Amino acid sequence: MLQLSGVSYRYAGYSNEVLHDIDLRLDDGEIIGLVGPNEAGKSTLCLVASGLAPASIGGSLRGSLTLDGVPAAGLATHKLAERVVIGFQNPNTQRSGIAATVFEEIALGPMNLGLPVAETVERTRAAIARLRLDDLIRRDPQRLSGGQAQLVGIASLLAMQPRHVILDEPTAQLDPAGTRLVGEALRALATTGTSLLIAEHKTDLLDGLCSRIIAIDGGRIVLDGPTATVFDDPRLAALGVEPPARARLARALGDRGLEGSIVEDALAGAAS
Amino acid sequence: MIAGVAGRLVRISALLTLPIAISVILVSVFTRAGTHVLFTIGPFDATTEGVDFAGQTLVRLFAISTSIGLFGLTTEPRSFVLDLERRGLSPRFAFVALATLEAVPAMVERANIIASAQRARGLDTEGSVRARLRGLLPLAGPVVLSSLTEVEERSLALEVRAFGKPGRRELLWRMPDSTAQLAVRAILVLALIAAIGGRITNTFPRLP
Repeated sequence: MLQLSGVSYRYAGYSNEVLHDIDLRLDDGEIIGLVGPNEAGKSTLCLVASGLAPASIGGSLRGSLTLDGVPAAGLATHKLAERVVIGFQNPNTQRSGIAATVFEEIALGPMNLGLPVAETVERTRAAIARLRLDDLIRRDPQRLSGGQAQLVGIASLLAMQPRHVILDEPTAQLDPAGTRLVGEALRALATTGTSLLIAEHKTDLLDGLCSRIIAIDGGRIVLDGPTATVFDDPRLAALGVEPPARARLARALGDRGLEGSIVEDALAGAAS
Repeated sequence: MIAGVAGRLVRISALLTLPIAISVILVSVFTRAGTHVLFTIGPFDATTEGVDFAGQTLVRLFAISTSIGLFGLTTEPRSFVLDLERRGLSPRFAFVALATLEAVPAMVERANIIASAQRARGLDTEGSVRARLRGLLPLAGPVVLSSLTEVEERSLALEVRAFGKPGRRELLWRMPDSTAQLAVRAILVLALIAAIGGRITNTFPRLP
C-alpha cells in the first residue's frame, strides 16, 4: 500500500506550495486515475508519490509518504526504486542513453538491482512480451519513434517488477492501438498485486482501467470517488477535463430523455 | 582485419603526426647544434645531428600515433567500457564515459531538429557566412537549454531504475575472448617487460 498523508509540497526556490493537504491511499492491485487541468499539480503529485520529491529534486514536503508501511523519508533512492517506480511523459528522458539495443535498455533496471543474469533476462523477456516489443529488441533505442520509445520506457519500468507504479501521461505519444496495449499491460500488472497511479488526459483509457479517479486543481483534490461517479460528475467539465466518450454519450442520451444505461449495456455487449 | 585496417591506420597516423612533424623538423634540423652543416638558409644551419634527432623524434611520434590509431580503429568504445566495468570499473564511471559518447550524436540530432524548426520560422541557416553566424545564437540557445532541462529528468529516470545502487552489476554482455587473443596479450605483456628490462639494463642502445 502507498499512502500520502496530509502532504503539501513546495519546489526549491519557490515560496508557494504547489500541493496542499493531499491524502491518498493506493491499495495493492488498485489502479487510480489522476486527472486535472494543466498546471493542476498532477506531475508534482506523481513525483511526490514516487518519493523523488523532495528526495532527489529538493524542495520541502509536509506530511508523509509511506510505502507498504515504511516511511519513504530517509530511504536511499535505490531502496525507493525497489518499491516504487515512475514513468515520465517524455520517452527521450526515460532512455538511459547507454544501451545499444532495446533489450539492453529494458534490462538496465533489473541489472542495476544486482539480480543474477538469468533473472534479469527473465524479467526483461516478460516485460517485452507484455508490451509485444519482440520486433524491436535488436533496435537502437535512440532510433525509435515517439510511440515505440514510450512503450520501451514503460517496459523498462515493468521489468523492475515494483510494488507501486506511478505513470505521468504514459500514452501521450501513443496511437489508439498502442494506448489499448498499454491499458491491457497495466491491467494485467494490477492483477499481480501491483498498485498504479496514472496521471492521464485520455479519460477513455482511465474509464476502462481504473477503479477510482482523483481530480486535482490548484494542487488540491477536488473530486475523489469511483470512476463512474467522478466521470459522470458535471464539475469535471468545469475543471477543463473532458469526460470519457461513455459518460458524454450517456449524458447526451439522458438530456434527450433516453436511458443512459443503454450506453452501459451497449459497451458491455461490445466488450463481450 | 589487418588488410582492412592497415591502410587507414597508416593514413590516420600520418595525419595525426603531420602537424607536430612539421614543427619538429623545422626546429630540430635548423636549431640543433652540430658539427656537420648540410646547408644554410639565412642565419640558420641545417645539421646532420639535427636531421638525425628529427628522424628519431618522428619515429617516436609515429609509434605513439599508430598505437592510438590502432586502438581507435579496432576497439568499439562501448564494448571497451563495458568490459572495463566487468573487470571492476565503477558503473558510474562507465555510465559517464558511455553517456558522453552517446551525447554527441544525440546533440547533433537535436540541433538538426531545432535548425529545421528555426528555418520554418524564417531563420537563414544556409545563406552567407554572416547570415549563418547571425543564425547561430537562435540555434545554439535552444540546443543547450533543452539539453540542460532534460538532464534532471534523465537523471531521475536513472535513479528510478536503481542506478545509484552500490555494488557490482551482473552485465548481460560478455566480450568474446578467445585463447588466441589471450596468448597474444600474454606475449605483448612479456614483450613490454622485456623492453623495460632491456632499457634498465642497457641491453638495447639508448636513443639520444
